[in-house]
Amino acid sequence: MSAQVSVNDKARNWLKEPLVHFLIGGLLIYAMFAWRGEPVDPASRTIEISRADRAQLSLGFERMMGRSPTDAELDSQVKRFVREEVLYREALRLGLDGNDGVVRRRLSQKMDLLAAAQAETALPSDETLQEWYDAHPERFADASQYTLDQVFKSEMGQAKERVASLNSMTKADDWKGSSDPISLPASLSQMPRKEVLDRFGEQFLANIDALKPGKQWQGPVQSGFGYHAVRLRALDVGEVPPLDEVRDRVENDWRTATIEKRKERGYAILRDAYTIEIAE
Amino acid sequence: MRKSLTKWALTGAATLALAACSGTSDEAQSGDGEGTIELAEFPDRPYWGDTHLHTDNSVDAFGFGVRLGPEDALKFARGDEVTATTGAQAKLARPLDFLVIADHSDGLGATRRLYDAPRLGVQAMGDETMLRWYDMMHESPQQSQRAIGELISAAAAGTLPEAMMDAEANEEGTREIWETHLDTLDRYNEPGVFTAFGGFEYSLMPGGNNLHRVVMFRDGSDRTKQVLPYPGLATTPEGLWDYMDGYAEATGGEALAIPHNSNLSNGDMFELTMPDGGPMTAEYARKRARSEPVVEATQIKGDSETHPFLSPNDEMAGFGVTGWELGNLPLSAKTSNDMLAGNYIRSALKRGISLEEKLGVNPYAFGLIGSTDSHTSLATGDEDNFYGKHTGNEPAVEDRANAGQNLGTRVGRFGWHYLAGGYAAAWARGNTRAEIFDAFKRREVYATTGPRMTVRLFAGFDFSEEDWDGDWVKRGYNNGVPMGGKLVDKKQAPTFLISALKDPDGANLDRVQVVKGWVDQFDVVREKVYDVVWSDMEGDRALQGNKVPKVGDTVNREDASYTNTIGAPELRATWTDPDYKWGQKQAFYYVRVLEIPTPRWTLFDAKRFGITLSPAAMADAVAQERAYSSPIWLTIEPEKGENEPDAPATMDEDTDA
Repeated sequence: MSAQVSVNDKARNWLKEPLVHFLIGGLLIYAMFAWRGEPVDPASRTIEISRADRAQLSLGFERMMGRSPTDAELDSQVKRFVREEVLYREALRLGLDGNDGVVRRRLSQKMDLLAAAQAETALPSDETLQEWYDAHPERFADASQYTLDQVFKSEMGQAKERVASLNSMTKADDWKGSSDPISLPASLSQMPRKEVLDRFGEQFLANIDALKPGKQWQGPVQSGFGYHAVRLRALDVGEVPPLDEVRDRVENDWRTATIEKRKERGYAILRDAYTIEIAE
Repeated sequence: MRKSLTKWALTGAATLALAACSGTSDEAQSGDGEGTIELAEFPDRPYWGDTHLHTDNSVDAFGFGVRLGPEDALKFARGDEVTATTGAQAKLARPLDFLVIADHSDGLGATRRLYDAPRLGVQAMGDETMLRWYDMMHESPQQSQRAIGELISAAAAGTLPEAMMDAEANEEGTREIWETHLDTLDRYNEPGVFTAFGGFEYSLMPGGNNLHRVVMFRDGSDRTKQVLPYPGLATTPEGLWDYMDGYAEATGGEALAIPHNSNLSNGDMFELTMPDGGPMTAEYARKRARSEPVVEATQIKGDSETHPFLSPNDEMAGFGVTGWELGNLPLSAKTSNDMLAGNYIRSALKRGISLEEKLGVNPYAFGLIGSTDSHTSLATGDEDNFYGKHTGNEPAVEDRANAGQNLGTRVGRFGWHYLAGGYAAAWARGNTRAEIFDAFKRREVYATTGPRMTVRLFAGFDFSEEDWDGDWVKRGYNNGVPMGGKLVDKKQAPTFLISALKDPDGANLDRVQVVKGWVDQFDVVREKVYDVVWSDMEGDRALQGNKVPKVGDTVNREDASYTNTIGAPELRATWTDPDYKWGQKQAFYYVRVLEIPTPRWTLFDAKRFGITLSPAAMADAVAQERAYSSPIWLTIEPEKGENEPDAPATMDEDTDA
């Protein structure tokens, strides 16, 4: 009984403490099987059901049904177990695992995971991050910021006229009143790209990106709401902050890319050993 | 032999890989974000988020097949491209502003731990059921889903294997997953850019009646690491509220709980009584109102606003009700009509004001949000990017609309009953944990069924049409209360400033409605829906009798497309309650915004995969998506400390109570 408990505890520890325990545990079990001379090859043709195995099947039944199995029920549990084991081993022998898309994908994922594992845990040095940061500055740049004025019209024709009349306006300030009512800001001051996207939508942003900053009213620019006369006063392309400020992002990015790279490298090494022939 | 050793090494590596997401994060990222960014004077824009996302740390999500973890979920929500479990590249066209990963507290990570464990280790634990589930999970996605179906049934029936129930044995594992998770959140939490909230789902389900809540923390890992997620097994919501109070007291932090899927609770979510059937106490009502300021009104497993049986005069009632109305969550018990009032939000709001008449406090004074409840790690809320309830019905499963569900198919629930999921909008002064959490706390939030409409609502006594010409938002805040607020009755009909702006990349708007619920002078609780503004209301859609003509339908069924040739980009109204009478008691008002008809995800599926929808699914393949604002309450007596400092004095006239 006490032995049972200690095995239980050990199992729980393994569940908690991964690799080291797995390996030590693996060696122990290896030694145990070797000493007992038990076959562990799934292709072996001997299936032994020990009393302990039977007890376990019985317990499993009890947990499911809330009572102990009768002798007949336990026999059928054993039969089912044997049946599964025989078919499983024969399936392996016939190589059925190889034709199963799910099994194939699962196993190849495990290979990828193995290849990537080191990169998941590695702590990159400052030099590594600096190099990564220097090589991909665009990934860590601040968002572009938009400074613009816009006058909204629901009709295309009116918007066109509006662009023309706004450009011939003399007073700098009375442009705001000529908008159709819409709950959108008339002036944006260094609004980050994401906020422009949220408030004006994808279509508007794509059209704005085609404009050059200047003092003239341009457009009409179409959005999901209608049409906008736009004066794009400034477009600040995002600058790259110093490494210290974006260190986490650099590390995340490095890690993601490195994992990908290792998978690919691992694959490439294995792949080199194969000759692939693809029929035309 | 070598084979088994390799397997162990592989499993170990996998576990390590999953555990190794912790890293450094600076203080701004790991706190509540106060003082980290410049704030607007008033909440100036809605921030969009999902407060209800499951990742592979959720027992069921993992079992259903998802293999994306919290890190991928965070990346996806903030706009990065990720590879979905079924292989497709997925990226949100418009990233979210905030995310609450709400993995089930029960068995947090348990299935993943089971899955990652060496088979011999599981065998050594001597539990045949766990070993069987282990093998099924490794066998195939279909088997994995079956295993998890069994696991959920076992949880509902209280027959989970001992090893999974053993709190002590699980605690260490849970703590490890929880702490790693909180570190990950901090790394992705960027004040001003993207907010990652700590949270979990409390999944209480007595007899299959859904009493689930999402718990959301205001704080970063410095505080949240001091607790563990509260289990739903063998506990009560009052226990959860105590846990939240205890957390606040011990850490100085704050937490709130968001009930969801009241539609699957068989009347248990919003009861008139205590859970044990006795009369509700003021203490219970106060505690509930304080702990649960917001309710999730709409998500993948249906919409909980109202039911046609409860609101027979509401032509637009019943969105997202079909299929879900049949019974509780696993459909182990059917829903009867007398249960509906405890299932739906509008009736709960009505129960709340009527209970307030008796108790002096309203247990159901909550705001409304939408969320996904996606179990794919992908917070997708739009009809054209529906990633499925769980990985078993991601788009890779082409006939998922016609297929049965895992929740009660034999009795009539099908894939097409799933909604695409909603989003939560929060009116905040900036994008930090503190700002968005506080918006939830004061209920200045609203729900949408997916589209990102901008909905504003203010109530006061001196608003007018002219307000629209100036800075009406500022006037709204200065001279009234925003959505979620309480307005003290001044013997005068309240006036509302209402604005609904369409989703810039979505469909035009059909109409804006006000839903009023009140206790009249004869103590009868009533509800009424008012059409207050609609497109083309002076032209083709002028009132016919008392009715607003239908907006029309531009959906091309073959093509799964629509055009914005009908409807309006924005609808605004200054609206005064025409039925207000001095002598009416507590009242609430919320806004419902309807889009023009658009294709549902089922129609997009039909087009993409060339499948034919069943007649029933086809009849439901076009819908009017919507937004629900949080209510504003018109209260007779101000509650201490909850009104604006300049709130008028209490009216103490006799109201024949």
